[in-house]
Amino acid sequence: MQTRPITMDFIHELISYFYWYFRPIIKGFLRLTTRLCELQRICYGEPKGGPRTCGVENSMILSRDPDIVKVIKSLDEQISVGAFKSTQTEKEVLVNAVNTILVTKRIKRDLHRQFEVSLRHCLRQIWGYKQLVQEVEKLRSEGFDSENLEHERTLLQLWALLQPGIPLTTRKTKQWQNIGFQGEDPKTDFRGMGTLGLENLIYFAREYNSTAKHILSHSHHPKHGYSFAIVGINLTHMAYRLLNEGCAKSHMFNVTDAKATLDHFHHLYSYLFVEFDKFWLSEKPRDIMEFNRIRDLFENNVRTLLAEPTTCLKIHIAVENV
Amino acid sequence: MGLLSILRKLKSSPDRELRILLLGLDNAGKTTILKQLASEETTHITPTQGFNIKSVQSDGFKLNVWDIGGQRKIRPYWRNYFENTDILIYVIDSADTKRFEETGHELQELLCEDKLNEVPLLIFANKQDLIGAAAASNIAEGLGLHQIKDRAWQIQACSASSGEGVKDGMEWVCKTVKK
Repeated sequence: MQTRPITMDFIHELISYFYWYFRPIIKGFLRLTTRLCELQRICYGEPKGGPRTCGVENSMILSRDPDIVKVIKSLDEQISVGAFKSTQTEKEVLVNAVNTILVTKRIKRDLHRQFEVSLRHCLRQIWGYKQLVQEVEKLRSEGFDSENLEHERTLLQLWALLQPGIPLTTRKTKQWQNIGFQGEDPKTDFRGMGTLGLENLIYFAREYNSTAKHILSHSHHPKHGYSFAIVGINLTHMAYRLLNEGCAKSHMFNVTDAKATLDHFHHLYSYLFVEFDKFWLSEKPRDIMEFNRIRDLFENNVRTLLAEPTTCLKIHIAVENV
Repeated sequence: MGLLSILRKLKSSPDRELRILLLGLDNAGKTTILKQLASEETTHITPTQGFNIKSVQSDGFKLNVWDIGGQRKIRPYWRNYFENTDILIYVIDSADTKRFEETGHELQELLCEDKLNEVPLLIFANKQDLIGAAAASNIAEGLGLHQIKDRAWQIQACSASSGEGVKDGMEWVCKTVKK
């Protein structure tokens, strides 16, 4: 019983070692026979979006070509200065990177126009994702601060979106518990997710207002209820992990023809909220103490979906009358 | 990985297991203490909906630590976790002076529970790194800890985010159980 996984591990390791060792030879052989380099084979052979962009990224990461390594390094450096936030600088950076690759791979530009366009698009998606990771981290690391007028304004806006027509009696009030905060002041509930948690919630409440209100009403269920905002902040953590670990790549490369932005992250969050609510109710939990167990099951399902390079998560909103 | 786990299995002597219950108001720092005990990252914590559990090895013990959410709505579920508890750890946010009364009240209720009878009590006076944090001695006095006669108890100043003081508290736990 015990030995089997160990031999499997060993075989797996052996295969990956051989693969690493013989990869250049296999690549060289394919290059000779197809007269295309690996990046070209991917760009011509794989469908646009997740399959192609993930393929290009893997190929570049595995590459031992010093010029490719240099391209990766210089693009990574551009992320730290925020080059992918402006269309102009992004374009310049990408043209340079593609040129370097064309030269080092000795690819004739006139013959492979399509490759050039396709590769640039992939690079834009790959490093756009990295820029997004950085942007999201910036929001997360900014703690919620009740002295910050902007933070306070957003928080009050969240209330107004979820509880229209019901004014808050004071800033610190038990009313906050109606939308699922823990106590009288939501400020301590954002914790390690900082303003990212608030930005996620406000996006969901604004862009999918009726759905959010409907889910809020589910969260008030006497038996299967939960704390809307607190669960929301836990889902922010889930979305954040999926993004940071790179699991969200397949979805992000498929959801848009361009590169993923902050709005796409909020959209992923909204998807998680809608689907989690459905999943939670379908599991018929005994009480709220089952939250971690059900969240883990749900997260596993999402990870399985995302493991597929063609996955594009869509928000299915059932039309229901409350 | 494979070899390591085999070695670990060969070596492992049956550690004594301890069931530790971590309670306190919301935002007291229970989950941060739990993560600190397990030597995990403490910067990405979210409010606990339900409970968390972790097993950590310490000083020849296998500590099964149950961290139950402190939100008022969840407190009625605390009692579901009382059974077979070896140690009760109660966490207080030392800077949240406005809720000292509330936290004292919850603690008093716990001390009256039959199922927690004679269970040793460790109080973490957490968040000592914050400005305005009350000293552990003041908290002990405010809570009337000195009137506790029916169990071993200890109050330990700590900062869960930096980890300071957490180890000292756990040393007391292991020492108390060995007696």
